[in-house]
Amino acid sequence: MGRMLENHSKLLLKENGIPVPDFRVASSPEEAAQIQSELGCPVVLKALVPVGKRGKAGAVKFAGSPEEARERAAELLGMTVRFFPVEKVLVEEKLNIAQELFVSIAVDKMRKGPVMLVSTAGGMDIEEVAAKYKDKLKIIEVDPLAGLPEYKCREIWSELGIKGVPLREAAACMFRLYQIFCRYDATILEVNPLVITKEGKVIAAASLMAIDDAAMYRHPELKNYVQIGSERAWRPLTELEKQVVAVNEADPYRGTARYTEMEGGDIGFMCGGGGGSLLCYDALLSYGGRPANYTEFGGNPPERKVYGLVSAILSKPGVKGLLVDANITNNTQVDLVAQGIVRALHDQKIDPRTFPVVVRLIGVNNDAGREILEQSGIEYCGEEISMSMAAKRMVDKMREFYKD
Amino acid sequence: MGILVNSKTKILIQGITGREASMVTRHMLAYGTPVVAGVTPGRGGQNVEGVPVYDTVKEACLKHEINAALIYVPPAAVYEAVLEIVANGIKLIVIITENIPQHDVMKCLRVAKEAGCRIIGPNTVGIINPQERIKMGAIGGDNVERCFVPGCVGVISRSGGMTAETAHMVKMAGLGVSTAIGIGGDPMIGSTPVDLLALFEKDPDTRAVVMFGEPGTTYEEDAAEFITAGGFTKPLIAFIAGRFTEDMPEGTVFGHAGAIIEGGKGKPSTKMRLLREAGAFVAENYDDIITYLRELKLN
Repeated sequence: MGRMLENHSKLLLKENGIPVPDFRVASSPEEAAQIQSELGCPVVLKALVPVGKRGKAGAVKFAGSPEEARERAAELLGMTVRFFPVEKVLVEEKLNIAQELFVSIAVDKMRKGPVMLVSTAGGMDIEEVAAKYKDKLKIIEVDPLAGLPEYKCREIWSELGIKGVPLREAAACMFRLYQIFCRYDATILEVNPLVITKEGKVIAAASLMAIDDAAMYRHPELKNYVQIGSERAWRPLTELEKQVVAVNEADPYRGTARYTEMEGGDIGFMCGGGGGSLLCYDALLSYGGRPANYTEFGGNPPERKVYGLVSAILSKPGVKGLLVDANITNNTQVDLVAQGIVRALHDQKIDPRTFPVVVRLIGVNNDAGREILEQSGIEYCGEEISMSMAAKRMVDKMREFYKD
Repeated sequence: MGILVNSKTKILIQGITGREASMVTRHMLAYGTPVVAGVTPGRGGQNVEGVPVYDTVKEACLKHEINAALIYVPPAAVYEAVLEIVANGIKLIVIITENIPQHDVMKCLRVAKEAGCRIIGPNTVGIINPQERIKMGAIGGDNVERCFVPGCVGVISRSGGMTAETAHMVKMAGLGVSTAIGIGGDPMIGSTPVDLLALFEKDPDTRAVVMFGEPGTTYEEDAAEFITAGGFTKPLIAFIAGRFTEDMPEGTVFGHAGAIIEGGKGKPSTKMRLLREAGAFVAENYDDIITYLRELKLN
């Protein structure tokens, strides 16, 4: 899921015929003041971070003068919203709100189709609406093959009590939002609030959008808007994480290498398979181990991908050992993985006789792999040692090597 | 017996000429699995490991009896491949391809459902029935017996790699596998644990099932509910990986795309509790699967 910043999603909405407030982006308090005086009206300032519920986090503010805009922007630019430092601020015209609506479209994974939530109780969390205002909320399961006709949108707003010109405009917005959701392979597209102004116009006051990473190949136009892989971290990517992304992207179609940096820890963790790595991490913790990172690798990676991944794992400060533990694989060439591990250790001048390394790898050419590892003084476990036992062996080995 | 695939299964491989697909074709044939045709548009008339390649599924179906399709085409071509297979009346589709756009997956699953076709996957390692020596996909590789020997235990796994490792556990317990299915690591999949438990319930050769679960989705919770409702009455041994993810910030993916806790849903501890309450044997440590299997005395 590639999360987008609000200025980017608003731009997409605007290009696709959804009215949005006049907006600009400020990187400094002075710029914010400048923008306010250019817009010449009261403004809303919002922290540009790829997370929702910014209002609750105090990351949305108002200003009526350049001076106020400068002060509010200075406050926002010093904030961190849910791990994301605020580097830019969205400055936009404040609307004359008569009524606030809500439209959200998401891929509902359990229903295996798009689901729309539509409400006339906009401006608050949807969880709150669902709990308190059930009569003001409609849930629409859209058939992904048939799509959503515009008359259906009119029916829905009409049943929720919207009338007149706003009915037509709100329905047109809802219809177009669904089209945008499909056109750009969005996984979520939320407009909250969708404002009916005192002048009777319907305007998307706030938007939140994420694009499916797997569909980015057909959206080159979104390349600069979307942070790929953002669902694999709860904060901006660290330098080591970016380094591994680059290693992985260098051979995009051969093997997988993913790296998430954890706080502290002393065991470099390189475990195989989506499920296997989850199991190993749990096992390592259960035996009292302290992993320094979470990693997943597999799918028969080339030697240089393994080398790049192991190098990144080992270069985190405080790493004093390495556990390579994977499920029995169908296709991974163990000799190639072994070569990558040995070369990375060698280049970092790490001697496995003084630095604990445990490897449990079973797959294609595992005898050759075992030989390469054992010749370098690395402890190899075969299928007779379970994944959990290999993790336990690592913890024991850390205790042997570093008697606290 | 076993479920989904058996001695009557005749397989077509979509995208058979690709690097991975040709290797898998070789391994499937070597295992004794009838791969009767392949399709790669523009490559009709060629063959892969002796299997004839056609330009269209229609042509392949005219020349051969086919009742199962294995999809190895790139992500961008999967939706079209599913449409073509469904249009030609093939009722079992295994989608190996990973990283298919979610909008395409939604459409694939809907099209198949409307046509009464069963989809396994996407992002699966495949299915294997060791008794009949039928496998669809890379499952077991070229060294099938290392993990998969015939027996009475069904295996359901959200992880491809852990399908083999779990079958290996079954083997270490002195037992074997009736059918093992990698259901796919994506959140949206064609066949869920509940769908497969329903099939295992009816299979006389399956006397117990082992399930490997992960954080995210409600597949394990649904399985617990299904057992409580009486839909599955044989012993179920379950292991849920990734308990550590509960202590991480919500909304972060670890491992498979499906392994994400959102809105408080999909926590391993909840899955384990519900399964235990439903009467399943829930392994705290993965290696306990062996202990539970031995205690069932299925030999």
